[in-house]
Amino acid sequence: MVLLGAGCQTVNTTETAQPAFQRNMVAEKRVITDGSLARKVQVQGVNVSEGPGGFLKVQAEVLNTTRSYQRFAYKWEWFDKDGNVVEGPSSVAVTRQVEGKESLFIQGVAPNPTVRDFRLKLYENAR
Amino acid sequence: MNRSLVSALVAAAVAVLLGGCSTQATYVDPGSTRTLSNVGEINVQDWNMASEAMVSSLIAKHINSGNLKGSGPDGRAVLAISRIVNNTSIQIDTDILVKKIRVSLLGTGKVVADITAGLGGPEDPLAAEAKREAQFLGTQKVAARPDYTLSGKIIENRTRQGNRNESTYVFQMALATRDGLAVWEEEKTITKQSKRSAVGW
Repeated sequence: MVLLGAGCQTVNTTETAQPAFQRNMVAEKRVITDGSLARKVQVQGVNVSEGPGGFLKVQAEVLNTTRSYQRFAYKWEWFDKDGNVVEGPSSVAVTRQVEGKESLFIQGVAPNPTVRDFRLKLYENAR
Repeated sequence: MNRSLVSALVAAAVAVLLGGCSTQATYVDPGSTRTLSNVGEINVQDWNMASEAMVSSLIAKHINSGNLKGSGPDGRAVLAISRIVNNTSIQIDTDILVKKIRVSLLGTGKVVADITAGLGGPEDPLAAEAKREAQFLGTQKVAARPDYTLSGKIIENRTRQGNRNESTYVFQMALATRDGLAVWEEEKTITKQSKRSAVGW
């Protein structure tokens, strides 16, 4: 029983009822090939902003829908106005860990101001 | 069965066994999670994550906010690399981190790197000589000093509890102006754990 309980540690969260910020949420299209991961770690929403320097900044809220600790990796892909891939620092897989029922934000910044669009990939087999 | 036949059979058996043990190398994407990692070293994935964190932070906090001021071509900021201290127990080439950061910053179109200035002498001696010549002759307006310098430190912390090993690598970086004021600083901590096998040697 102790062993079973050790794997399940969930997170209690408190936040303001009416947040002072307004997120610019974007409509997404999701392609899910790994149903196992999609059942565990889900993207709740994606919002974008752009600073004075013209770099696109993207933030995705990810929720661990299970009651157990999960590991996953994510990678950003960036595209210019013509749809060409723009390689950048965040074009590498970054591993993250999330407690049961916890949500966290993952952020990406475009590698240069020519970037107009993005894609977020989630991987399950992260160590 | 004579001795030579036995020897030949043994040699053949050994060859078959060794042949069966040989492994073929496979290529993996260095930007993926398929690369190998262990507790005692800073691995490819760690360098990737550290550089990603540093560059994203630098872009988000300093470059994208419009705070970058430059005297280089097209108003780009001139960056030189200062000292990156390795305070870990392992021998590492800090260029693995610095080069990734430089390549990414150059890719922003807002920064150029000065490879004629460096603590251990210029990275490109020929470019340094050409710059000195141009400054002496006054044929080209070349900035004498970089607008920014990038410095950093890598720190290691190891601990063990029961049969679990843990290594923490802390990557610290700072960007300073000509006046010596740090206008951006970032710290990325990477912690790895592993379980020791019951039968160790």
